[in-house]
Amino acid sequence: MPVDIPVMFNEELRGLLKIMASEGITHAARGFEGMIGIPLRVSEPQMRLVPLSDVPHLLGGPETEAVGIYLRAQGGIDWQMMLILDYAKAFELVELIIGEPRHPADGLGQLERSALGELGNLTGSFFLNAMAALSGLEARPSPPAVMVDMVGAILDVVVATYGGQIGRHVLMVQVAFVSENREVQADFWVIPDPAALEAFARKGALNDGH
Amino acid sequence: MVTNPPTTADWNALAVGLGEYKISAQPQDVLVAYGLGSCVGVIMYDPQTLVGGLLHAVLPQNTGSDQKNPAHYVESGVPLLLNELIQAGANRYRLKVWLTGGANMLGNSPGLARVLNIGERNAAMALTSLAGLRLPAPIQEIGGTTGRTVRLYIGTGKATLRMMGRPEREF
Repeated sequence: MPVDIPVMFNEELRGLLKIMASEGITHAARGFEGMIGIPLRVSEPQMRLVPLSDVPHLLGGPETEAVGIYLRAQGGIDWQMMLILDYAKAFELVELIIGEPRHPADGLGQLERSALGELGNLTGSFFLNAMAALSGLEARPSPPAVMVDMVGAILDVVVATYGGQIGRHVLMVQVAFVSENREVQADFWVIPDPAALEAFARKGALNDGH
Repeated sequence: MVTNPPTTADWNALAVGLGEYKISAQPQDVLVAYGLGSCVGVIMYDPQTLVGGLLHAVLPQNTGSDQKNPAHYVESGVPLLLNELIQAGANRYRLKVWLTGGANMLGNSPGLARVLNIGERNAAMALTSLAGLRLPAPIQEIGGTTGRTVRLYIGTGKATLRMMGRPEREF
């Protein structure tokens, strides 16, 4: 029987993941800075473990309209990342990263989807690569998938690929993207593969302080 | 005695979460599965005894998972729903059946769509299970790439669907 994440999620691992998440998100912010020429920084990520079944309620209910950016790594590590944003907040984030006004009533066009996909790509790839390096397992990240739908339907992607284990936990990373005069909160839901966490432990990565 | 259906203000919404089913014979109850993506929603309703049920199943079948809840899986959830409805007073030969969900949420993503065709498999399993139980062919709206909320109004036997940004409509 697979071990649920909280069992393995000690302070050391929490610290390690926090560093990786922070670096991944900072990396994404730097990437966008280069593209838009405006300073963009990120707040220190807040992390906590929550049961998957609680996620819809934390996001306003399963029928709430949201944007999900999904990445999956395959290979030695089966790791998933979902960035979920409130629909209106997603537009604020798009405005921030492309530097032009956008309105939710106009819908999420190709440009907006690309910008959000790239945000997921930059953040997730860095995170996944760091996980791969630490565990010694191979990880091949997928291209990002951008979904605009109800929170419940977006979450089905994670639930179904997680073997339907709704009692299991996901790692929530809350971060704020900050530009000159505005701040946009974003939540990342990271679904670690217990096998990868076991690989960390086997390699002693956690004990060496890497 | 003929009773009037409840008015809108009287409806009592009962959410049917992931891997759950609910049965009701209370006319004011509305069974709701919010935001079905790859999951499927199966409704069965007896229009004579006004007993109905809704299943919100997550995966086609249990392939050795430690998740034992039968309502989690289409294969075991569909017969479970039928048996519970019969226990609650429904007659299987009068049942009206609806099936929805089974979307491929990643259908627009070439790198992921084929790997994660759980929605398609869920819908196929539901059709197989219903046919195996000799239930009538369901009224169905399955597949696609968008989520759906499904409701069953016990007092009237009306089923509805809603998709993001659109109004609720009859199913």
